[in-house]
Amino acid sequence: MAEIAPQKQVNVQKQPDEEVLSPWREAWKGFRRNKLAMVGMGIVLFFILLAIFAGVISPEGINEQKLGERLQAPSASHWFGTDDFGRDILSRIIYGARISLWVGFFAVLGSAAIGSLLGMVAGYYGKLVDTIISRIFDIMLAFPSILLAIAVVAVLGPSLRNALIAIAIINIPNFGRLVRSRVLSVKQEEYVMAARAVGMKDSRIIFHHVLPNSLAPIIVQGTLAIATAILEAAALSFLGLGAQAPQPEWGKMLADSRSYIIQAPWTVFFPGLAIMLTVLGFNLLGDGLRDALDPKMKK
Amino acid sequence: MKKTIFSLLFVLLLSIGLAGCGGSNESSGDGGGDSGDGGEEAGGTLIFGRGGDSVSLDPASVTDGESFKVTKNIFDTLLDYGDDNTDVQEALATDWEVSDDGKTYTFTLREGVKFHDGTDFNADAVVYNFERWMNGNEEAFYYYKSMFGGFKGDEGHVIESVTAKDDYTVEFKLKRPQAPFLKNIAMSPFAIASPDALEKQGDKFGENPVGTGPFVFDQWNRNDKIVLNKNEEYWMDGYPKLDSVIFRAIPDNSARLNALMAGEIDLMDGLNPSDVQQVEDNADLQTFFRPSMNVGYLGLTSNREPLNNKLVRQALNHAVDKQALIDSFYAGQAEPAKNPMPPVIGGYNDEIEPYEYDLDKAKELLKEAGYEDGFEMELWAMPVPRPYMPDGQKVAEVLQKSFAEIGVDAEIKSYEWATYLEKARNGEADSFLLGWTGDNGDADNFLYVLLDQDNIGSNNYTYYENQELHDLLIEAQSTPDEEERNKLYAEAQEIIHEDAPWIPLVHSKPALGGSSTIKGFSPHPTGSDKLTKVTLQ
Repeated sequence: MAEIAPQKQVNVQKQPDEEVLSPWREAWKGFRRNKLAMVGMGIVLFFILLAIFAGVISPEGINEQKLGERLQAPSASHWFGTDDFGRDILSRIIYGARISLWVGFFAVLGSAAIGSLLGMVAGYYGKLVDTIISRIFDIMLAFPSILLAIAVVAVLGPSLRNALIAIAIINIPNFGRLVRSRVLSVKQEEYVMAARAVGMKDSRIIFHHVLPNSLAPIIVQGTLAIATAILEAAALSFLGLGAQAPQPEWGKMLADSRSYIIQAPWTVFFPGLAIMLTVLGFNLLGDGLRDALDPKMKK
Repeated sequence: MKKTIFSLLFVLLLSIGLAGCGGSNESSGDGGGDSGDGGEEAGGTLIFGRGGDSVSLDPASVTDGESFKVTKNIFDTLLDYGDDNTDVQEALATDWEVSDDGKTYTFTLREGVKFHDGTDFNADAVVYNFERWMNGNEEAFYYYKSMFGGFKGDEGHVIESVTAKDDYTVEFKLKRPQAPFLKNIAMSPFAIASPDALEKQGDKFGENPVGTGPFVFDQWNRNDKIVLNKNEEYWMDGYPKLDSVIFRAIPDNSARLNALMAGEIDLMDGLNPSDVQQVEDNADLQTFFRPSMNVGYLGLTSNREPLNNKLVRQALNHAVDKQALIDSFYAGQAEPAKNPMPPVIGGYNDEIEPYEYDLDKAKELLKEAGYEDGFEMELWAMPVPRPYMPDGQKVAEVLQKSFAEIGVDAEIKSYEWATYLEKARNGEADSFLLGWTGDNGDADNFLYVLLDQDNIGSNNYTYYENQELHDLLIEAQSTPDEEERNKLYAEAQEIIHEDAPWIPLVHSKPALGGSSTIKGFSPHPTGSDKLTKVTLQ
């Protein structure tokens, strides 16, 4: 966030008697007023803490099989019950947070980085470059995303890391298009014109002026995309294409326990709940960020 | 917020929709399987739900269990197995004699039996059928080759000739004694079909089968159902009881259970062990367990490092808690295996001391073998439920954990089923889960088929070779004396136990679910059931 200088220029025409806040602080002010967004952030922070301190707070390891204690209902000793290997579900869900957040964060980081770069190039240079890149995005978006992910994993072989790569790939066009459209408008701004007029190099204009001014929508899209990425990772693992035994990925936990849905509903309820909560958290957070960062939404 | 709602919906889909993964594709138009309220003489229609459709209804030409399940009810064999064992008993033949040298078998046939097309069953019909098979080829009659060593003109072909002595006497001359000959004769593939129909139908016989069995073929809608009606002139007095039988294909185990609970079908096989309790708790349903004639095992490919070391294989054998596996993933309906064949098979060696579950012993053996720090290997798990292993993935996870205790780092791998078998057959797996269901209840059908060096590249997936074992198994094949033969097999099992090319895991009793109105049904160990004595009340 070091490069926020250009944005200051945009906001200089504030009324002089009002205290001038930096745009980020102003966004934060707006964000704090949004109760749902705060709930979302709470949920996300909660899961991040779970992931970080999993080793400390989780009562058991991820693969402590006790076949004598299988499929036990939730109780004081096993808050979320045990699965069909007699493993503590609570512990697995806590460790599962690591996997889901890790996949969500890095998949989105990857797709955001590549997507933004391609989007900036397409938007800034236009013409043939734009046509080629945009058509590739169109082709990728023409596939149902999960199908594309399955295809990618089929080529790479099933594993969590490959699932992450697949999810990163399928989300590239979302970021690409967003950034491209943003760049199209930013490059018409006077400060970009001015930079160009003084003979600044393209790369400097892109990374020092265009990118910082496109950051807000990337952050919003990124937050929302983490939610989707976590869902997609769960779906791939459910299909046996993501996490492999004994990794406690939530989608895999669902898949492994689905035959016990009547006999031991807690084995599917809690992993499902964990997925739902994280996804909900990231979506609320993302929506809140959009409201706070979008200049058009300002009062 | 739209996105949130969509995501929530997706989660719901994931956790509930996929989990239930059910819904039968179509409802049977035959209005439930309930019998009429006809009292003791109740006939009625039995609807049997199973995992797949038959390939063909010409039993000689197929190898899949789903085909035999049906043909067993349309056809009879010369001899048949007992209701719940593989002892041979009379069927189309009422009597049989073996010459002293074990090379001539004379069968006396049942008189007055008619094929469903009205033609007579007699010695000529038997000769016609055997001539048809022995003039065939491997593609057409796989089981004939595998049981009788080849076809006319082949070196290994066991049957010299089949001749009709008179209308109701058939004589088989063999080139050399074959100990399991009578058991082979009783196998479903060697059912006697109507020569007249075979002539008329030609290639279409598999879709219009004509036999002498308790039920007459009526119609077949591919991938949906096969309808059989009662044979009013069946030779067994007062049987069959049912008016008709319908075989329906419902691939998904859970969907099939749903159909059973909804009353759309009366009987199902492939009941998940995890669903057994649910069926038992339901007053309208009952469970059946097929007597075990199978073995589920972990093969240790014995030409791959470090599994080529006998001590390593023995160590792994010591690391597995079979009873815990059975309690967890077989609903307790299995017994721990110590030999490569189940105890019901003649020649089973009960003297063998199983490798007990002992991690210290396992570590010691690994140390002795020079793998004190353990090693890495692949552990393959089958992707589909099998009768001998309803959930290979779960079994693999337990084994993975057990092996981890002694420092062996096993990576679970799985492939699509056909690929899995092919790759394992090529010896590409370090260790792999697999199993076998016996065809005819003979020891040869387990030990020779699965572990003899002759069958490397065929059914011996472990590439285990032992000349001493090979000599024993070959000798046993042509030893007609039961006692002497069993001694040879007992010795063979000792060698196998010591060399430990497998970790024999379980002999399972596959579960079936049925309506509580079903009486007189006893699942047969071979996997195909004759429904002659079944009634619905």
